[in-house]
Amino acid sequence: MSQEALKLNIDTESIESSSRKARSQAVLRLVKYTSGRIVALFFTVVVGVYITVLIANMGGYVDDIRRGQIREGVALSASLDPTFRQLPEDERTKIIEERVAIQEARFGLDQPFVVRSLRYLTNALTLNLGFSEGLTSDSGSRLVSNIILERLPSTLVLFGTANLILFFLSLFLGLSLSRRYGSFFDKLVLGLAPTSAAPGWFYGLFLILIFSGLLQLLPFGGMVSAPPPENPIDYALSLMEHMILPVMATLLSAVFLTIYNWRTFFLIYASEDYVEMAKAKGLPDRMIEQRYVLRPTLPNIVTSFALLLITLWTGAIILETVFNWPGIGQLYFRAIGIYDTPVILANTVVYAYLLSLTVFLLDFIYALVDPRVRVGEGSKGR
Amino acid sequence: MLKRFVLVAAILMALGLFLAACAGETQTVEVTRVVTETVTVEGQGTTETVVETVVETVVETVIETVVETVIVEATPVPVDRNGGWLDTIIFVEEPNQDAAIARLAAGDIDMYADDVAGAALVQAIADAGNIQTRTQYGLYDEIFFNNGTCTDETALNPFQNAKMREAMNWAVDRTYVADELYGGLAVPKFTPISEAGADRGRFAPEIRAIEAQYAYDLEKAREIITVEMEGMGATLVDGKWTFNGEPITLIGLIRIEDTRKEIGNYFANQLEELGFTVERVERTSGELSPIWVSSDPTECQWNWYTGAWSQTAVDRSNADNFDFFYSPRGLPWPSWQVFQMTPEFDDLSLRLFNNDFADFEERADMMRQALPLANEMSTRIWVTSRTTLVPFSDQVSVTTDLAGGVSGAALWSKTIRFADEVGGSMTIGLPSVFTEPWNPIAGSNWVFDRMVQRGLGEPSLYTDPNTGLQIPNRVERAELVVKEGFPINATLDWVALSFAPEITVPDDAWVDWDAENQVFITAAEKFTETQTAVYKSTIYFPADMFSTVTWHDGSALSAADFVMSMITNFDLGNPASPYFNEDLAPSLEQFMSAFKGTRIVSTDPLVIEYYADNAQLDAENTAGYITWWPGSYAYGDAAWHNMALMLRGEENGGFAFTDAKATANSVERTNIIAGPSLEILASELLSATEESYIPYAATLGQFVTADEAAARYSNLAEFARRYGHYYIGTGAYFLKGVFPVEGQAILEHYNAYPDAANRWDRFSAPAIAEVEIDGPSRVTIGEEAAFDVFIDVFGGPYPMADIDNVQYLLFDATGAQVETGVAEAVEDGVWQVILSTDTTTALAEGSNRLEVVVVSKLVAIPSLAQYTFVTAP
Repeated sequence: MSQEALKLNIDTESIESSSRKARSQAVLRLVKYTSGRIVALFFTVVVGVYITVLIANMGGYVDDIRRGQIREGVALSASLDPTFRQLPEDERTKIIEERVAIQEARFGLDQPFVVRSLRYLTNALTLNLGFSEGLTSDSGSRLVSNIILERLPSTLVLFGTANLILFFLSLFLGLSLSRRYGSFFDKLVLGLAPTSAAPGWFYGLFLILIFSGLLQLLPFGGMVSAPPPENPIDYALSLMEHMILPVMATLLSAVFLTIYNWRTFFLIYASEDYVEMAKAKGLPDRMIEQRYVLRPTLPNIVTSFALLLITLWTGAIILETVFNWPGIGQLYFRAIGIYDTPVILANTVVYAYLLSLTVFLLDFIYALVDPRVRVGEGSKGR
Repeated sequence: MLKRFVLVAAILMALGLFLAACAGETQTVEVTRVVTETVTVEGQGTTETVVETVVETVVETVIETVVETVIVEATPVPVDRNGGWLDTIIFVEEPNQDAAIARLAAGDIDMYADDVAGAALVQAIADAGNIQTRTQYGLYDEIFFNNGTCTDETALNPFQNAKMREAMNWAVDRTYVADELYGGLAVPKFTPISEAGADRGRFAPEIRAIEAQYAYDLEKAREIITVEMEGMGATLVDGKWTFNGEPITLIGLIRIEDTRKEIGNYFANQLEELGFTVERVERTSGELSPIWVSSDPTECQWNWYTGAWSQTAVDRSNADNFDFFYSPRGLPWPSWQVFQMTPEFDDLSLRLFNNDFADFEERADMMRQALPLANEMSTRIWVTSRTTLVPFSDQVSVTTDLAGGVSGAALWSKTIRFADEVGGSMTIGLPSVFTEPWNPIAGSNWVFDRMVQRGLGEPSLYTDPNTGLQIPNRVERAELVVKEGFPINATLDWVALSFAPEITVPDDAWVDWDAENQVFITAAEKFTETQTAVYKSTIYFPADMFSTVTWHDGSALSAADFVMSMITNFDLGNPASPYFNEDLAPSLEQFMSAFKGTRIVSTDPLVIEYYADNAQLDAENTAGYITWWPGSYAYGDAAWHNMALMLRGEENGGFAFTDAKATANSVERTNIIAGPSLEILASELLSATEESYIPYAATLGQFVTADEAAARYSNLAEFARRYGHYYIGTGAYFLKGVFPVEGQAILEHYNAYPDAANRWDRFSAPAIAEVEIDGPSRVTIGEEAAFDVFIDVFGGPYPMADIDNVQYLLFDATGAQVETGVAEAVEDGVWQVILSTDTTTALAEGSNRLEVVVVSKLVAIPSLAQYTFVTAP
């Protein structure tokens, strides 16, 4: 008995020991995986950001452009000043050169591009966004954080609304159509899917023409009516009124194709053997849908949703321009147009960090929503 | 698919209905005709002074069909309203021109403050039926040549040769560019004289002769090119010019942002037609400027560039354009330094630049000599002067500047209104608003921000939007004394012009600034010898100015506001100042190079003297060059007390006026309407109130008491509490609301504005003459022939008193100019050209052309008309 008890004790200890070992190995594996993943992602961000620095500055050619623009700008302003033109040649030259030197120093052109490129990189990676080189926020601030944060809410409210509607509408309609394969609505969506070849701004132009120009039912663009309502409720209502057309444009440009994608995606999962088996067992449709179709597709749905959320950060350049919507996309476009590296980098690095974080977290979320997935075990755990 | 077809059909039907609904219609518009009389008085020396006075305003009703350009004028209104005609002006951002026209057509906005161009937009405006337009001159196109000789001897830059460059004048069909590429929204340009400028009228016949001389003739260009290219060692092989056995490739830098893309490609086609191989480099301004601005032209990285230049107001003189555009002295750029002028042109150009002529007659002679020399040299050839359109609702009346459009017209806010309506709210679209921070020292210089600012403030003198002359607003009169021998002319009666052998600067005049002790330095303190100046202007402000003019926070205008304007002018660019901005130093240096002194003769009524060397040809513009009016800071208005807050914030490191200093100190640029600066300003206002702070106390303290300071800060605090910003002006509207993210600004009628609303109504539309010639279609050689010239304005005859001159040019059947002369006045609106028997005797058989140039006193742009007749025995 005692020997058996001892044996059992030994077995228990052995099991606990091996369990501890397994746990510590799991933790070690998790730490190793996490560290490796973080390093890899950070390295990707560093490379991506530095490539952005190089592209935004055309490998240093922007310095030449800036120098030319400064000289051209100084000379043009001089040419418009009759009193300046009355000065003797040497005085004019001296004043022009002084002005050019001040402007060149302001843009840091008195330092080599390589040095500045590394400073751009360091500042971006440490999220030391600093001051812009040319852009100001709408309220006149040159702090990059102010410039971006001022435009972010309008982008989030428009594209957040549009994309969330698009996501959930297409998800549920896709799921619904997957159950009605071959029906009239299925064929209708299939037929309308190619309409997504046209981008949202294209539909925007037509919607403006019809609803604003012809019917004069909705505003041409902008964020709120003029003058902006003072009452918050009226302001919100005005905002919603101005969102109708851009949201419609976003939906029209993508909804049919997205529904078609989800519907096809769900159809593939719905034809798996285990789903057929469940059907053969006579399980209810709802249970089959929830347990055998939706659950295994959750990682894809979550991934799609997470990427959608971080894509909001970038806005939509042309759609915002068509609807004169003061969002991040327009800002990014202007920054690129005037080679404002700090603003371009701020947009890029924040997006890069958000993307990296999302990719990193998704690994863990997959493990949570899908028991078949083991973090850090690679293909062995599957 | 069926659904899609139905959708497309529905859209097309809707479009058809829309277009049908937008057809033009006949409208009744009321116009105001301004009649002036001219009084000629003898001036000192040889100068004749012409004084114009408005003596009558006639309102009449005419019927006309709205087609494209309609001049709508205000109806007679009771003048019991002060300030602006409108109650509210709402600025909204609309960066897209197509959308702006659609919004105008739909009544969503009442005016679009940018000028528009392009055939599609012009058609859309015409189709809308409810949009009127006003022509804006001010942007002109050129083909600029690399004048340098390539250091690589194996390469040849044909444009190093002046004859080659001159030949390009004949190779470009400017009429084609204006009519086809610009869709009619441009006019051919052949000379450096700007379209909207006083010299355009003065030298209209000479310019017309040059136009005739350089009329499009590709074969003539080919002949000259052949001679010159062969002279430079090039050979034509299989229709292509070669040098050292290699094809000559001309690198054309073509701007892509506007019609210059089409112009560049057209010019490239012409060059190819002439046997050159062309490499077209189509890029943006920023991408091309390192090549044409910064590169060494002798490296021959480029051969020609599609340039453009602008003017923001009507030019009073273009005499300095020769030096600027044709001389190496023009700009310190490599591409300018290779210009080679003939000694004759160099001398003329420099003398014109330095106003080195005895009188206007000599100047005119010199200009007449310089004009053809400029085309012979052709460092650049001028192509077109754009005539873009400023669109606004046909219910709107507003002043536009001939060169600056509505956004550049200082008077826009004083005249803008709905026809037949007093009050109301108007919505104006702007391509951008709040583009940069607003501060009066170095704030936003964007034309549309400046337009809003002009609506909030007022200058002491306005620039006449049609002639470019200064006209008094808050100035009662001025006396201008100019050193004898300086050529200057007075046109308007608010300036009394006189001459003196020497103008001395009084000992007590302020001539400089002691930034450490914050006091002005007098002439006696700075100089041991008596200083002289080229001119002295004495500005007399109205006696009731300080009791009638108030800032938007309710504070009365005072002499201290003027003194603050003086101090900041000297102080901020001075390295010894606590507010020093390096960026302002060159401007101060420029100012000091001509400044000789200033003196406050009397504080109430305010009388200020100003001594300087930089006299201009017009007495009005010389006298009004500096008045120290506080609404005339470089970038907006400021009273001394809101300026005090900006200075405190700058001294405490919160923000900086200039971009350069803000960047260097890692702070924000001062912005008094929005953003992080507002908190700093609020904090400084509290401190300033507690301290009864008077900036530059050693000087400004003589003009402000502590009680006055406290009252001003209290007024400003209440204003900021109500409206959330610190921008105050003395204009007819105040800034009620700033909505940066929404891109909106709200201006509201300022009830305390002292002037009647109709004070500036005479500038509501430019009096551009419409000219028509009538006469015999067949003239017998050797017999006298008479031609009637009908000159109308606003649908009625153009008064003789408002016409400066009517000249004619006669071209024979070969196109050669055979005679110029002056038409005779018959009655208002009717002039006559008589060709003598000698003249017709000299004409050969064939078709002749009579051209008439009408120069008005009211607008700088001359009107032209032509008539063709046949001569036979």
